[in-house]
Amino acid sequence: MAANCVQKVLFELEGVFIHPSSDEDGIEPDLLVSGTLRIVDKEAEVFVEYRPLEEAVDPSNMLCAGKDSSSVMEWDQCSGEKSKSLIETQQSYETEWDMINAVSFKKKTFTNGDGCVNPSQERSRWAFSVSVGELRCVTLKVEGWSFLLLTLKEARSQLPTLHFHQGGSTQFLDSLRRVTLLSPSPEDETCLLVSTPNRALSQSFENLLDDNNFGLVNQKFRKDPYVTTLGGFSKVTNYIFDAFRGTEEQHQRPPEEVADLLSEVIPGLEINQQEEPGFEVITRMDLGPRPEVSRRPPLSAEDWTKHQDPEGRMTSISKLKKLIFKGGLCHAVRKEAWKFLLGYFPWDSTLEQRKVLQRDKTLRDYRSLIEKDVNRTDRTNRFYEGMDNPGLVLLHDILMTYCMYDFDLGESTELLLLGGMSDLLSPILYVMENEVDAFWCFVSFMDQMHQNFEEQMQGMKTQLIQLSTLLRLLDLTFWNYLESQDSGYLYFCFRWLLIRFKRELSFQDVLRLWEVMWTGLPCQNFHLLVCCSILDSEKQKIMEENYGFNEILKHINELSMKLDVEEILQKAEGISQQIQSCKDLPPSISSILGLEPDLCGSDPTHSGASPPLRPRPPLRRPDTRTSTSTSTSNGLLRASSAHNGCTVAFSS
Amino acid sequence: MISKSALLKVILLGDGGVGKSSLMNRYVTNKFDSHLFHTIGVEFLNKELDVDGHHATLQIWDTAGQERFRSLRTPFYRGSDCCLLTFSVDDGQSFRNLANWKKEFTYYADVKDPDNFPFVVLGNKLDVPERQVSGEDARQWCRENGGHPYFETSAKDATNVASAFEEAVRRILALDDRADHLIHNNTVDLQRKSHPDPSCC
Repeated sequence: MAANCVQKVLFELEGVFIHPSSDEDGIEPDLLVSGTLRIVDKEAEVFVEYRPLEEAVDPSNMLCAGKDSSSVMEWDQCSGEKSKSLIETQQSYETEWDMINAVSFKKKTFTNGDGCVNPSQERSRWAFSVSVGELRCVTLKVEGWSFLLLTLKEARSQLPTLHFHQGGSTQFLDSLRRVTLLSPSPEDETCLLVSTPNRALSQSFENLLDDNNFGLVNQKFRKDPYVTTLGGFSKVTNYIFDAFRGTEEQHQRPPEEVADLLSEVIPGLEINQQEEPGFEVITRMDLGPRPEVSRRPPLSAEDWTKHQDPEGRMTSISKLKKLIFKGGLCHAVRKEAWKFLLGYFPWDSTLEQRKVLQRDKTLRDYRSLIEKDVNRTDRTNRFYEGMDNPGLVLLHDILMTYCMYDFDLGESTELLLLGGMSDLLSPILYVMENEVDAFWCFVSFMDQMHQNFEEQMQGMKTQLIQLSTLLRLLDLTFWNYLESQDSGYLYFCFRWLLIRFKRELSFQDVLRLWEVMWTGLPCQNFHLLVCCSILDSEKQKIMEENYGFNEILKHINELSMKLDVEEILQKAEGISQQIQSCKDLPPSISSILGLEPDLCGSDPTHSGASPPLRPRPPLRRPDTRTSTSTSTSNGLLRASSAHNGCTVAFSS
Repeated sequence: MISKSALLKVILLGDGGVGKSSLMNRYVTNKFDSHLFHTIGVEFLNKELDVDGHHATLQIWDTAGQERFRSLRTPFYRGSDCCLLTFSVDDGQSFRNLANWKKEFTYYADVKDPDNFPFVVLGNKLDVPERQVSGEDARQWCRENGGHPYFETSAKDATNVASAFEEAVRRILALDDRADHLIHNNTVDLQRKSHPDPSCC
């Protein structure tokens, strides 16, 4: 029996103190009880346990008791009854670990120096073990040091205040957060209400993981890591936050386990092991006020021409990009400017070079693709039979060609076309008004968006995790609320991310948003801050109306076509400045936004400036299909860094 | 008799491209767009209606039929009162996949009594001349798989769309545990069990 039960110490911290007599007699330094605080997972139930150190034992034993994890396991195993009741559990514990009936706490008056009770007994009285489910709230106060008050649901019961003279309260709360939901009480910010998450629903997601004997195409479904990832998503995000935070690893999951999990989810993403001082404030990270930023009018054709030298090279490119970021482009400029923004044209190419480029692509590569490689029957997929709109025919022809061009997508063209790629192509085709230019611009755009459409949807997983990380920093309260509604994995942002807000904004606003994002300013992954900006505007409604799982999805879905692009961009830029001027930015955040830790924060006036220029990627060679294959098979982050800079505004 | 509206959740399932979104849009907004974008994830619309004297609010959940969006849609199966299994009469594969859809739904919706759960089967795109699935085959499948009502619909020309949704409501109201849905209603005639012949085509 005992051997079967799996028990894990999720958190362990020595040097947590109880001040037994402070209530009655004022502070009595002699009577501080020092002990070890743990969070232990015993089968389905998680307990918070406190065990005082024995004063009588000699220091070597103390060390042993405190640090030897085998003693913990031993103890764990002998309490392996599956009983849910605290009383029953209590009986199987070693005496030292006895759950102190909280009522007895109140009844017994601790008489200092009484002498009639032996010290070890006295001290063991302060041990307790309480199921997390029994907790009503946790109150964190700081007066010189942090101390925590655990309040039980049972009103008559009271647990002793835990004093963290040696720090660690934040780590404790973070670990607790992993097993339950802590949300700040509306009346008192320092009071975190404990609630038990809806296990049934998360189960629904988790079922996806081990759903062996079921599915439309069983084998394929089972192998689909996307399913797997979304399946355990809320779990995964938590692990990732832990990994980013670094310090707690020794207390809970072995780092290699976290690393495995992470590499499964985000290949190429390194776990950040270092911990910077002051990062404890993650629970209440103060980003400072959000700067007011303003938008500008779109760049006119005249302004665009001014940025060209006589031979047609674009000049003062970083200034030009900044102008585009701040205001977008007049429609007349788009046809030309998008080719630069997307990397089809190099910024420093002359007009003559561009003509050659276009001719080459037209005559050699494109024609060969279409005429030699593309099976015409594929291009007239039955899916589009009966469509007579020339624009649609063109749209689908380009997509078909792209499918042939990019074999890595490796799915039936029909699936691909259903998968949202046409959403990405149609604005480009609309602006280019030319099949060949549209195709090559689309190819460039797909370089950024590719991973969203791969079978494993790696790009989607990464983005959802990154977004969750950002949101948690920006607005922990809201993030906690979403978690409490089983929505912490932000599934409702899926469509935003998959097709870059294509269905959320009017067509004209999509054009604006995209060209702004293609500048690569003011930071990498700016589109995630755009998500944060929208969520920031909606959180009040969502929380005030107490929206649940379904309502949140419905509310977000219904934002479609009601959003104001300039407002969103303005707020998103403000958020980016707010983050960039933050001094102690967690490395996870800097890495998502591509911020240099040294630059950001050290000079807040510099925030919002363009990121350091990186080498431009080489001109695309459309005839080398293998190069496409290579770039798409790269890990996401590698791909994004390789493409970052002029052509690619953000990693996808 | 005072009767507040019962909120009934119905969910449209079926292969990608059979016309689930079009059916929902036809029913709720009475519009049809042959170039509707495919659904990403899950979307839903509400529709108020009266069926046999009962007022109900239908919450129609439209799902992405594509396999890749599976994990986005399945969490929303829970709490469904009726499932509309949809195929396209010009697509034999979409018909053969009905059993899989039913299985997926039953599994993720955690239906306690699958034999008595109301499914309604819709063969859409009746307007398309080249049929791959005969009405007889479809009706036979419905008979052999739990006696589900079958409707042949066309979202394009609005054939039978409303009838299919109304039948879904009737099936829900006829359920023995319907009290769950009507818990906030003051009085509702729960004895009504009349069904018109659902095999209308």
